[in-house]
Amino acid sequence: MIRVALPVHLRTLARVNGDVTLDIEGAVTQRSVLDALEARYPMLRGTIRDHVTLKRRAFIRFFACEQDLSNESPDTPLPEAVAKGTEPYLIVGAMAGG
Amino acid sequence: MEGQRRLKAAKVLLIGAGGLGSPLGLYLAAAGIGHLGIVDFDVVEFSNLQRQVLHTTPDVGRRKTESAAAHLRAINPEIQIATYDTRISSANAMELVRPYDIVIDGTDNFPTRYLVNDACVLLGKPNIYGSIYRFEGQVSVFAPSAGPCYRCLFAEPPPPGMVPSCAEGGVLGILPGVIGCMQATEAVKLILGIGEPLIGRLLLYDALEMNFREVKIQRDPQCPLCGERPTLHELIDYEQFCGVRGQEAPGAPLESDFEISVEEVKARMDRGDDFDILDVRNPEEWQICRLEGARLIPLGELPARMQELDPSRELVVHCKGGARSAKAVELLRQAGFVNVKNVRGGISEWASKIDPSMPKY
Repeated sequence: MIRVALPVHLRTLARVNGDVTLDIEGAVTQRSVLDALEARYPMLRGTIRDHVTLKRRAFIRFFACEQDLSNESPDTPLPEAVAKGTEPYLIVGAMAGG
Repeated sequence: MEGQRRLKAAKVLLIGAGGLGSPLGLYLAAAGIGHLGIVDFDVVEFSNLQRQVLHTTPDVGRRKTESAAAHLRAINPEIQIATYDTRISSANAMELVRPYDIVIDGTDNFPTRYLVNDACVLLGKPNIYGSIYRFEGQVSVFAPSAGPCYRCLFAEPPPPGMVPSCAEGGVLGILPGVIGCMQATEAVKLILGIGEPLIGRLLLYDALEMNFREVKIQRDPQCPLCGERPTLHELIDYEQFCGVRGQEAPGAPLESDFEISVEEVKARMDRGDDFDILDVRNPEEWQICRLEGARLIPLGELPARMQELDPSRELVVHCKGGARSAKAVELLRQAGFVNVKNVRGGISEWASKIDPSMPKY
């Protein structure tokens, strides 16, 4: 089971509270996690990755185990702690409130 | 005593005297910062008081800079305060930032955040960043040459309307207190040269879960401002960069063809004209009051739910004051909706002019 932490505006959009949990078969990579997330919550399509290119949008970043994975290959396996669900996969968005 | 002398000699520029600026100002003044610059163009409103604890009820209607200076001098009469009752812009940012040692970003919109970042990088000033939305906050220290800048973290802003502002989405009143206090802590640490500054680290706070997460952030070699081959050497038009035409204050973002007054909406309702009303506020605002027959799609959800609307029908869009609905109209027009109008002044105007029994908030 994978835990995914979404920024608050995307939690609102997906109508979820707290972290999202996903079951993923096969390799746990950023691509497989995001594919599973968008399959479960279609309203998130285009908000995290570009609709067409599936590249990360410039106002979103990905982290896990304190490390910035934003520019890593989407097919690189995620850390074991994420794959086991002990650490969340963080999707962090720009916010501007003050 | 040496530390206190350093604090007294320090020059700190506080950009924004609102939610974040309130705890920042209070604690920096109390700490004995010698020179504090405060930039804000706004006036105190009742709706600010839930989180902007630097201002009080008798200050409503007063310039925020004036109110802030008065309250901070009451805490520390020795403090030298320079107030800049102006909107920071590409035209004045360099001159505002230049005299100060440290800049603290307490602004509330993307164009100003990129502007403050760029001015700080170009002038080599540390920028203590904090931002908030609803129940979450972020803090970091962007120190030129020592770590990443804001552009390294978020190369581009979200499209207008995709990430609501605090005015649109609301914010837990205590949240800026938490984040602002952390920014103040980082400022004092930088001035005193103690501890580990939050450079190259982004602190994420979630008030609902009551957790702090820290992640590492690095300089982007491709950053157009501080990367290996910078292409930005001067300030730019940040409203254009962020895809917005102006601040989120109501008024003037749309030409009159795309606006409608509350009186006209009422008259058309009374005539039985056939049009749809779209309310782009948040569900909690909808619970307070609503227009009869209106349909709710919060602005943040609009891009993903636009297909629920019929582009062939006339659509009248409103929010609380007219700013969010102006963005919604812009989004709808870009998506091909032709017959769409923004209700000037929003439901607040409706409550004032059409239905005084409607609750105001």
